[in-house]
Amino acid sequence: MKRLWLAVALMSLSAAAFCDGQSMFRGDAIHSGTYASQAPREFHRVKWKFPTGDRVVSSPVCQDNVVYFGGDDGNVYAVDATTGNQTWKHATGGPVPSTPAVADGVVYVGSYDGKFYALNAKTGRTKWKFATGGERRFEAKGLNGLQPKNQTMADPFDVFLSSPVVAQGAVYFGSGDGNLYALDAASGELRWKFPTGDVVHSSPAYGGGVLYFGSWDSFFYAVDAATGKEKWRFHGGEDALIHNQVGFQSSPAVFNGVVYTGCRDSNLYALDAATGKENWRFNNELSWVITAPAVAQGKVFFATSDSSLYHVVDAITGKPVLRQQSKAYMFSSPAVAGDVVLIGVLNGTLEARDIKTGELLWDYQIETSKQNKGWVLTADRKFNNPMLYYSNWREAPVVGTERQFGIGAIFSTPLVVNGVVYFGSTDGYLYALE
Amino acid sequence: MRLVATLLFASALVCDAAEISAGRWEGSIQIPGREQKLIVDLAQAKTGVWVGSVILPGLDVKGAALADITVKNSDAAFTIKNALSGPQIGQAKFRARLNTKGALAGDFLQAGNTAPFVLEKTGPPQVELPPQSSVVAKELEGEWIGEYELLGYPRHVTVRLTNHAGGGATSEFVVVGKETNNLPVDLVTQQEDFIRIESHETGINYEGRFRKDSDKITGTFEQGPLEIPLVLHRAKSAS
Repeated sequence: MKRLWLAVALMSLSAAAFCDGQSMFRGDAIHSGTYASQAPREFHRVKWKFPTGDRVVSSPVCQDNVVYFGGDDGNVYAVDATTGNQTWKHATGGPVPSTPAVADGVVYVGSYDGKFYALNAKTGRTKWKFATGGERRFEAKGLNGLQPKNQTMADPFDVFLSSPVVAQGAVYFGSGDGNLYALDAASGELRWKFPTGDVVHSSPAYGGGVLYFGSWDSFFYAVDAATGKEKWRFHGGEDALIHNQVGFQSSPAVFNGVVYTGCRDSNLYALDAATGKENWRFNNELSWVITAPAVAQGKVFFATSDSSLYHVVDAITGKPVLRQQSKAYMFSSPAVAGDVVLIGVLNGTLEARDIKTGELLWDYQIETSKQNKGWVLTADRKFNNPMLYYSNWREAPVVGTERQFGIGAIFSTPLVVNGVVYFGSTDGYLYALE
Repeated sequence: MRLVATLLFASALVCDAAEISAGRWEGSIQIPGREQKLIVDLAQAKTGVWVGSVILPGLDVKGAALADITVKNSDAAFTIKNALSGPQIGQAKFRARLNTKGALAGDFLQAGNTAPFVLEKTGPPQVELPPQSSVVAKELEGEWIGEYELLGYPRHVTVRLTNHAGGGATSEFVVVGKETNNLPVDLVTQQEDFIRIESHETGINYEGRFRKDSDKITGTFEQGPLEIPLVLHRAKSAS
């Protein structure tokens, strides 16, 4: 009996520890993308699903058995991790495709209304809020070859907002106004802001007193977290022609003195964290790397958009370890949970892969994806591009993208707590699978 | 006798009703969550060969040629040649049968998906025949070379235009980057000084203006949404 009690106590202790370790985007400040809990190697059932009023692009985080996430319906949600019942919701003035960070009883999150919120984690009441220079999506003339060429267009694939990281008593996040902000976590007072040349929707990683993040101005930055002074910058690719192969939308991970980041120029980069010098790059032949890489067991895990490939490469050399063909674009970031890697796919499927072989262990297809209204997907769940992108004129490509996303796309990065997998979908639900 | 005549007449009627005839057929495809308007024009040439084209309003498909048309009594099947298709998803297909009400009903297959459609005959056929390659000017015949840059990488282009007796010109269209791509060319047309080479399968085209004085073709390499300037110079002959 005593042993049983001890075991239960240990389990609950470790459960709490697990949950506490999942309180910001990618699990921790360095964005390792690894989770202490073992993910299920078999799919058993949907534990619950929680409805919202619009797409759920944000990734869930967990603290004290409460799951927090943002909704494109403008709300920040707190949901009981066990029951799936709503604890509270807090309305903002715009969609919330940013992932909250929870620290010291406060939920930090940004909204498309251009404000950054600090909410009481128990009640959802406002602690403070801070107005940035305003949000916007990346935009360019003739973006992606759309017509008319001289028209400035917002990028429909710029779906995320920067997710905050909390360290040194400050909260750090990027903004569509081009700045990286450092606010006092307790008061919301501005400590400093660091300007870049374009939209910052990459989420900063924090390691060794330094913040690492990319901007759509084609540069990747390392900034001193205490002072906001630039330590170094790295120049990614440019695309003056159609602005397709430019910008850091991916969020970095920093591990063992190396920063790993994807880029829209189709490379995954490994940069020396101290100097910004390129250690290696892994080119994906015109296919964006939007996913934030996960780093575990001396390997880097990431996935691509158009080529829809799941890659594992050696963290030191960048040499390929394995790759697997998925069926559609991946913007969701891989979550390493025990010997399973989870990743969301934009065709409305969550994939669970074996960490060693990359083989698909199981997948879960959202009901909207199964219905396949308007034949957004082919019969084998690839995107049916001729039915989506039949014209590059007027708003047709944007409508096509909306239809594509409407299939139940999973942008959200899965969270694993106590063997339960949480993620959001554009069908408007937050899912808990076990 | 009257009975025999009646039977013969009735049988002819049934036979007529059961055979698919040339015409414009209009209706819709019941794609889940989307009713897609469909207009099919079918005609039979004097040789007996069937030709046809299709219109799919809202999908930017107007007068796309039908291919592999088979019509046998009350059954028909055909594919769309250059629309709603792709290397990974194959061609869109129709399988139809004339029903007792005179409607053409069947299945539309695209990208592995299947949906029913029903068409009714609304008038005579208005088949749009696919454009044919034209003969190019004598001075355009031969090999042309050029180079363009895509995202920092050079690409070498070779175009070889050839006229053929009794037909339009053909073209070789080779792009060499990391790999050598010999593009399948469907159409070569010249209008005044402008030459256009189209590869429908790859979505890659070239259009340029021939300048007699400088003996070069100044134009644009088109790859999907990309439009990249490309000047072609006459290749020096081996001799």
